[in-house]
Amino acid sequence: MPLNIDWQQILLHLFNFCILALALYFLLYKPVKKFMAERTAHYKEEAAKSESLRAEAEALKAEYSEKLSAVDSELELKRSEALHELHAYREKLVGEAEAEADAIVEKAKKDASRERKKIIDGAGKEIADMVGAAAEKIVLGSTRNAYEDFLNAAEKSIEEENELR
Amino acid sequence: MKKSSIIFVSVTAVVMVALLIGIILLEPHESGDITETMKDAVLHENDKIDFLGLKVNPGFISALITTVIVVVFAAVVRIFAIPRFKLQPGRFQLLIETIVNFFDSLAKQNSPHRNGFLGAYIFAAGIYIFVSTLLELIGLQWVAASGESVTLGAPLADINAAIALGVLSYLVILSGGIASNGFVGAGRTLKEFSLPISMSFRLFGALLSGLLVTELVYHFIALSFVLPVVVGVLFTLLHALIQTYVLVMLTSLFYGEVTEPKKKKAKKSKSGAVAAASK
Repeated sequence: MPLNIDWQQILLHLFNFCILALALYFLLYKPVKKFMAERTAHYKEEAAKSESLRAEAEALKAEYSEKLSAVDSELELKRSEALHELHAYREKLVGEAEAEADAIVEKAKKDASRERKKIIDGAGKEIADMVGAAAEKIVLGSTRNAYEDFLNAAEKSIEEENELR
Repeated sequence: MKKSSIIFVSVTAVVMVALLIGIILLEPHESGDITETMKDAVLHENDKIDFLGLKVNPGFISALITTVIVVVFAAVVRIFAIPRFKLQPGRFQLLIETIVNFFDSLAKQNSPHRNGFLGAYIFAAGIYIFVSTLLELIGLQWVAASGESVTLGAPLADINAAIALGVLSYLVILSGGIASNGFVGAGRTLKEFSLPISMSFRLFGALLSGLLVTELVYHFIALSFVLPVVVGVLFTLLHALIQTYVLVMLTSLFYGEVTEPKKKKAKKSKSGAVAAASK
C-alpha cells in the first residue's frame, strides 16, 4: 500500500480509540455531565423556590399595603365622624348655655322688675304715710314747730358731718 | 540590584558563553542521512515495533500509551475527585467541568437536533488528539524490532492512526445522519464522500509537518539550541490545540448538517393556486 498504509494497524488504532472513548465516556464525560445537570436542576429548584417566596412576599406586601390604606381611610372616617360629633356636642352645649343664660337674664329681669315694683310700691306707701303725717300736722298743729324741727335736724346733721371730716 | 539577581544574570551569561563556544568549536555533526530520516518519519519502514507478535509503527505504541495515561487519569478522577465535587467548584473541578462543557456545548451548538452521542465522541476524540500530540514533547524511547532505539512521536503523525480517526469520524457522521433522517441522512453524508480522506490527511499532514520540522531542526546540532523551544514546544502545543479544534469542529458541523430534520415543503392553498391560474 502507498504511504505504508496498513489496514491491520488502522483496525488496531480504531480498537484502541474505541476503548479510550468508552472509558472516557463512562469514567469522565457521563459522571461530570450528570453532576452538572444535577447542579443545574438544584439551582433551578432554588430559583423556583425563591421566585415563589418572592411572589408570596409580594402578595403579602400588597395585602398589607391594602390593609394599611383601608385602615388609613377608616381612621380618616372616624376622625371626621368624631369631629362632627364634637362639633354637634359643642353646638348643643353652646345652645344650652345660651338658653340657660337667656333664662337667667329673663329671670333676673323679672326679679328686678318685681323688686322695682316692690320698691316703688313701698316708696308710694311711705310717701303716702308722710303726706298723711304732714297733712295731719297741718291739720292738727302749727306748721312752725315742724319747720323749726326740720331746721334743727338739718343743722344737727351738718355738724355731725363736719365732725366726721 | 539584589544579590540573587546578580547571581542569576552571571550564571545565565556564563552558560550562554559556554554554549556559543561549544557551537563554534564543535564539528558539524549529522546523525545519518537526512533523506533517510525523513523517510523513516513518514513511512516507518525501519522502525517497526514488535507488539504481541505484530509489527506496528511507533505511532500505535504512542496511541496505546496515550490511552493508558488518559484512562488511568479518568479512573483516578472518577474515583477520587468526582465524588467530592461541590456546588461551588474548586480549580480542578472547574478545569474538568470546563473541558466537558466545552465539547458538550460545541456539540449542542453545531448540532442542535441530535447531540448526545456527538458530545461524547468529540470529547473522546479531542482528548485523544490533544494528549497524544503532547506526548511528542516527552520524547519517550522504545526499542524497535531491529533493536534500535525509537523515539515515540504523536500517533496521528502515523498515517494509519489519522485514517482510523478520520474514517471513524465519518462513520459517526453517517450514523447520525441515518439515525436522524434515514436514507436522506445517509445520502447527505455520502454526498460528502471526500470527507474521510480530507479529515484523515488533514490530521496526518498537520502533525507530520510538525514532526518533520522538528526532525530537521534536531538533525543539525547547531540548530539544537534555543530553536527547539519554538519549534518543539510551541509548535507542538499549537498543533495539539489547533488539530483538536479542527477535527471536533468539522465533525460536529457535518454531524449537525446531516442530522438536521427535513424541511417540509409548504402546501399551496387552493385559493393561491386559483389566483395563480387566473393570472
